[in-house]
Amino acid sequence: MRDRDLEKKLRLIELQLESWKKLHDLITYGLDKAKPIVSSEQERQFTELRGYLLQETEYILRELGVLAELSGKTMNVLQRSVSIRAVRELPNDEVRRLETEWNAVFTKLGVVRGQLKARRKQLAGQTALTYHLGRIFRRAAAAH
Amino acid sequence: MDTRLLILNNDPVFEDRVLTIFEMMEGVENHIARTLSEAVSILIGEIFDGFVVEGPAALALEQATHVRQHFPSLRIACVVAERPVEELATAAEQQHIGLIVSCQSYHRLSGILGRFVRSIEKRSGTAAEGIDPCHSLIGNLNQFSAAEILQMSCLSQRSGRFTFKSSRGNSEIYLQHGAVRHAIYGSLEGEAAVAEIFRWRQGRFYFEEGIISQVQTVDRPWAHLLIDNLQKLDETLELASV
Repeated sequence: MRDRDLEKKLRLIELQLESWKKLHDLITYGLDKAKPIVSSEQERQFTELRGYLLQETEYILRELGVLAELSGKTMNVLQRSVSIRAVRELPNDEVRRLETEWNAVFTKLGVVRGQLKARRKQLAGQTALTYHLGRIFRRAAAAH
Repeated sequence: MDTRLLILNNDPVFEDRVLTIFEMMEGVENHIARTLSEAVSILIGEIFDGFVVEGPAALALEQATHVRQHFPSLRIACVVAERPVEELATAAEQQHIGLIVSCQSYHRLSGILGRFVRSIEKRSGTAAEGIDPCHSLIGNLNQFSAAEILQMSCLSQRSGRFTFKSSRGNSEIYLQHGAVRHAIYGSLEGEAAVAEIFRWRQGRFYFEEGIISQVQTVDRPWAHLLIDNLQKLDETLELASV
């Protein structure tokens, strides 16, 4: 069986991770001094991506139950990376901090995605009847 | 095997009513794209059974029409918030694009979307292996594209039948004295079928010498077809990069 809430969480985390990885690609491009040109199209993509993340992050992290843990780090990354050009001009210690915080968010989201997928796999082997019976029996056992 | 759906929705976090319905369907694998260019680049690289566009009627239909022009065999549906005007509904019908109005109860909408998913005919099939003595030419599409092998056969004035087998299904192109006479892929025939086969990058092909089609659905010279389809392919790639 499929659980609506679980499927929604999985969709949200996939979307967040996808945007988060694209942000990383563009930041990495910006930090690569060997690539001298940052096109206006890349800057547009970057701004659009930041727009999605700024709009969706708080809602998604709250739905996933990791708002307190990740909100600060996520906002730090988004606030520091104003544009690709601005990322290129960041001092070294700021760049290190940016990468560390990006990685902390990515790692946590990856772990949560794994947990959700494990839950989905567990549910896939159950019918709606066994799922609800299991819940009732667990509740009854907890009451005693 | 799951039915694969690509859903174009520019706000999949907050406007997720339709997504929720698809997510609850057993045997359906969803993939979400936020922009048309993203959707086109995904469609170029992967095989999907259906494409769903969500949004305001005019915009959704415009995006679906773009995709229809580049992927003629794809099953497409537009899920629109309001009932479209007559003109748009007619245009959708002409392009074989399903129109679904989303402002109805969850159960009703769920039923309609379920019917759309069930209507997607699974044409998957694995490429048959083994050599048949009738086949005078056999190969892989990832080594030689359909355009290359057809060009070669047309230049050498061949007559016979090309069979293309991939996970998208099977298709046939008949040649007569170096010209394409007939092409068929699923419900598509003629130039639309040729255009579809041009995009295939995976699968196998077989050529059987001397098999002639009595039906003629293509009447333009090979050179014109080649130029048109290569141009169309360029336009698709351009759309993906916008």
